[in-house]
This record gives sequence, structure tokens and C-alpha cells, in this order.
Amino acid sequence: MDFNLLITSYASVFTNLEVILMTLIGALGGILLGAIPGMTATMGVALLVPFSFGMDLIPAVGLLLGIYCGGMYGGSISAILIHTPGTPSAAATLIDGYPMTQKGQAGLALSVAMFASFCGGVIGALIMTFASPVIARAAMRFNSGEMFMLAIFGLSVIIAISGKSVVKGLISGFFGMVLCTVGLDPTNGIARFINRSQVSLYEGFAFIPALIGMFAVAEVIAGVERIVRGEEKHLVSHEKIKRVLPDGGTIKKIWPNILSGAVIGTFVGAIPGAGGDIAVFVSYGANKSFSRHPELWGTGIPNGVASTESANNGCSGGAMIPLLALGVPGDAVTAVLLGAFIMKGIQPGPMMYVTELPTVYGVFAALMLANLAMLLIGCAGVRFFTKIVSVEKTILYPIILVVSLLGAFSINKNVFDIGVCVGFGVFGWLMNKYEFPLSPILLTLILGPMCEQNYVRFMNLNHGDFTQIFHSPIAMAFLSLAVLSILYSVWNQNKINKAEAARKAAEREAAQA
Amino acid sequence: MNKKTSTVAFSNLIGSIIFLAVGIWAYIKTLSFPTVRGSYVQPATFSQIMLIGMLFFSVILLIQSIWNLTHLKQDSPAAEKTASLNVLKDRGVQYALIAILLCVAYVMLFKTFGYVLVSFIVCLAIMILIGKRKWLQMILVSLLVPLCMWLLFYILLKVNIPMGPLTFLRDLVDAVL
Repeated sequence: MDFNLLITSYASVFTNLEVILMTLIGALGGILLGAIPGMTATMGVALLVPFSFGMDLIPAVGLLLGIYCGGMYGGSISAILIHTPGTPSAAATLIDGYPMTQKGQAGLALSVAMFASFCGGVIGALIMTFASPVIARAAMRFNSGEMFMLAIFGLSVIIAISGKSVVKGLISGFFGMVLCTVGLDPTNGIARFINRSQVSLYEGFAFIPALIGMFAVAEVIAGVERIVRGEEKHLVSHEKIKRVLPDGGTIKKIWPNILSGAVIGTFVGAIPGAGGDIAVFVSYGANKSFSRHPELWGTGIPNGVASTESANNGCSGGAMIPLLALGVPGDAVTAVLLGAFIMKGIQPGPMMYVTELPTVYGVFAALMLANLAMLLIGCAGVRFFTKIVSVEKTILYPIILVVSLLGAFSINKNVFDIGVCVGFGVFGWLMNKYEFPLSPILLTLILGPMCEQNYVRFMNLNHGDFTQIFHSPIAMAFLSLAVLSILYSVWNQNKINKAEAARKAAEREAAQA
Repeated sequence: MNKKTSTVAFSNLIGSIIFLAVGIWAYIKTLSFPTVRGSYVQPATFSQIMLIGMLFFSVILLIQSIWNLTHLKQDSPAAEKTASLNVLKDRGVQYALIAILLCVAYVMLFKTFGYVLVSFIVCLAIMILIGKRKWLQMILVSLLVPLCMWLLFYILLKVNIPMGPLTFLRDLVDAVL
């Protein structure tokens, strides 16, 4: 590791006013969106990616990482105040956060959440800084066969993010892979599924408009439907916040939970497919098991909040490890970040550590800055953020629509892209309605081209003999990891489905009684 | 118990049939892709592999759904009520379709009317659609949000956005700056 370059990169990022400003704006946007129930960090990054258009890479990355880190913390605000997690990663925070609010300790819960988020994020960023170059160095020896299997390993994540039905997730995934093949064949330039006159589709569906459509426009259409049916609840918080950071005594009590939560979050985040929503429960479970008073967990103690919030922010550093070192996104948000890198002409992966080392170190520094920005914005605006959870959706949805459609246009300055965005929005609405998950499509839109190009290259180099791939130990290792990941995800999903069925049966019995 | 046609199992059945139909249509389409001499992987090959995967899992979902429909148990997840897509009876779906039509109109009018004007109309129309009636707040939000967004993109990000009849605003901003 080149420590001189690392220090120079940190210094250049921390003294660049544009990067600082963009990261602060990103953190503010992330916290605001994260605090509103139903608005995820993925949607926040998707909405604000077009704003990074025209910026240099590092300010753009600072903006996006600011949203990512801010969104992770923002989700805890509504979880603590109104018992509704703003993002899935804050789902475990409400176990202890909301009882603290009921006991009149909302201020303490929010301050612990913010402090733990900051510490978790910084620890995650440090682990990323030292772990990802090691992985990238190993990945430098990969050829097309190994890269193909790496893409397959990345795609095996589809099972983990499929939700209730693995079969539906796989259908979505394969459909997404087919969507990737629309346009000109990258090897021979043959038009596939289009006419030669459809110039706008030569390079396939533009990723960012498709993404904005599936995650923002689809949400607006579904929101209109929910409001008309009266299913959209208007949640209000009246809590008054007295302190923004925890006192020394509290920090002394919660630091072991912060430390273990951050390490667990980073390692879970580094596994493709296992995002913040899994990390928080793993961390909460582990911390509770090792606690001297497990019976107090769930009754409203700061340790519970600290263990989950440090884990979900630690996840942001962890998820960046496979993204930067292997070019494989760890979750939906990093998939969007990967799209943003590609939009800027940079392909994350092991070669980035050779050709773009200052950029890599700049990204490390930007993640550290994003966590600092989250702390600053969080401290300055915590009283205001408690109000944002009460925002009216009748105002919010139309604003999201006009902002997202402008974002879709601004990428290529092409009205056709707004059409693509609306088309994917309608498609996303229908898919959500019938519980076909959208995240597999997002992942395949990113990994599909990498998968196809390496497959074609491998086959041409080996004269069409696919069995040659079985002679590569690295490729086989990735294949084994993919199989293990699929088996684990199927087993885990079955467990979740069984627990869900048992919970529903218990609810029904209680209702009957 | 829910009517069979309003269960998750039934919607899965419809979903699997749609994906099967799309998959078969797309596979037939790939058969017309030109072939390239000397290449071990033809332009259609990758699409066909993916389509076979999609068709395979669509068939599995179809079989699963038929099995679930014929052996429907009250407490199984397959018997849960599914989302409605009944345009005639469901007000939510009707309004969602109007919102989609507004989005389509947005795309069609974007170049002619420009971003600010078309966004103002669509933003206001959606607020009216979902029952908001605070007129001053609605007009201010519908006007100021697109205007601020345009200014942000035009001044800071240097993105030139169609302005239609309001193109004079661009000249005005240029003159001021």
C-alpha cells in the first residue's frame, strides 16, 4: 500500500471545497430521504445520481456516498420516533429505539444512533481501506473465464434479494439478463431485438433512466394508488430533542456494542447480497447473546440502538470492498454506485488499483468524509429531521416525479430516456404489485454485460470448449461460492417463510380468541 | 377464504403465463438474428441461454401455481389476497392509470412545452388527483420546484433543458449572470 499517496489523496479530498460541499449536500439529502418511511437509500442514490452529472468523479462519489451514509442513519430517526423504520436497515433499531422514546428518552436514542452510525461508518471505511487492496491484488490474475465465474458469483446474490419467492426472483433475474442483450451485440455489432433505425437503443436501455423508473416512478404510481385507497398513513412526531450527542458515561457503556456492531456490519456488508438489513439483526443477536443482561434488550436500552446503528453504517464500508476490488456490487445501493462509476468512464475492479490508484484512494477518503458529513449534518439538523418524518406524501410524490423525470433526461439530454424511465416505472409498478422483485433486474442490468463479454471472450479463446473453465481453480472456487451462496439463501428464505407463516398463524389464533 | 381468482397463486399463474409468452416470442425473435462466420458464440447465443432460463423458471412457477390452486389451503401464503388490477372496480388502479397517462403526456409534451411548464401542469394535476386542495401551497410547490430544479441544472450543472415558451427565462438568467 502506498501510504504517501493515501495521505496525499486524503489531504486533497479533505481540502477540496467542492468535494466537501457535495458530500454535505449528499448527507443532507440522504438523511432527509432516509427519515421518510418508504424512501430507501437506493431510491435516494437513484434520484440524485443525475445531479452528479457534469461533476468531477470524486465530488460525484462524495455526493453519492453522502446519500448512502446519510440514508443509513436517517432510517433510524423514524424508527426511533414513530416506530416505522425509514429504511430496511433501520428495522432492528426500533426494537430498543422506540421503547426509549416511550420512556421519554428520544433525544438520548437519537444521539446514540448518530454517534454509533458515525463510529460504525469510520470503522467500516478503515477496514475497506486496508482490506480491498489485498483482494484486488489477488483478483489481478483473473482471466476471462474467472471474470465470467466472478460475474456468476455476483449474480448468485439474486437468490438472497429475491424476497418471498426464489422462483420469481430467478425469473426477474433472467428477464433482466435478456433486457441487457437488447441493442447492438458488443462483439459483432449485430442488432438484437431492435431495428437499425432505433438509434437510441443501439447501446441498450440506459441504466440510470431504467433505475430511476423502477425505483422512483414506480413508487410514485404505487403511492397515488395507496393514497386514493386510503392506505397511506400520515405519521406525525411531536418529540422535543434536547441533546445531539451522548455524554461520556453513555459512550463508556455502549462502546463495546459499537465496536462489535461495526466489525460485524463491515464483514456482512462485504458478502454480496447480504446488506444492512441482515447485518443489523446479526449484530443485535450477537450483542444480546454476549450481554450480561440479555433480559434488558428490547426494553429500551442505548446498547441495542448502538449495536444496530454501528452495524448498518459499517455495512457501507463493507459493501464497497467487493465493488472496488472485484467490480461486483454488494447490494442494490452499490449497484447504483457502480452504474455511476461506469457513467464517469471508470470500471471498478482489480485493474482500477493499477490504472486509477489515486481515484481509489480518493474514494476511500470520500467515504470517510461522508461519515464526517453525516455527523455534522446530523448534529446541526436533528431537531429539524424529527419534523421531516411527518411530511405529507401528497406533496412529496409529485415532487419526486418531476425531479426523477428531469434526472432521466439530464443523463444523455434525450427525451427518449424520459420515455424509458416512464416505461420502466410502469413495469416496476406491475412487478411490485405481483411481488416479482426488482432488485435482481437492477443487479443483472449491471452485471449482465460483464457476464456476456467475458463469456464470449472465454469461448473464443478456447475454441468454443466451455469445459476448459473446469481447469481453472479460481473459476471453480467462484462457482463453489456461488452454489454455496444459492444454497444458503434458499435455506435462509425457507426459514424466513416458515417463521412468517408461524407468526401469521399465531396472529390469527389471537384474533379468534 | 379469498376467491381463487384473487389469490397470490392465481396472480402467479397469470405472471408465469405472461413471462412464458414473452419468453417464447423473444426466443422466436432470436432465431432471426444473423450469424457470424468464425465466431464461436453467435449474437443470439447469450440471449437464448438467458431465455431458456427464464422459460424454465416460468414453467416451474406455472406448475407451482396450478398445484397451489388445486390444493389451496386457507393458511398457506398462496391463498393470501393478491393486489388488484381491476380497472373497472378498483379506484386505486383507475387513479394509478391516470397517473401513468399523465407521465406519458409528460414525455410527449416535454419538448414542445419545456420542462418547467409541463412539470407545473403534471405536478398540479397529480396533487389534484390525490385529493390535495390547498391551492396556494399546490401552485407554489408545482411552480417553484421545477423552476429551482431548472436553475440548479442550468447554472450549476450546465445542462441545457428544453424550456418551450419559457425560453426567454434562459436569456434572462444569461443576462443576469
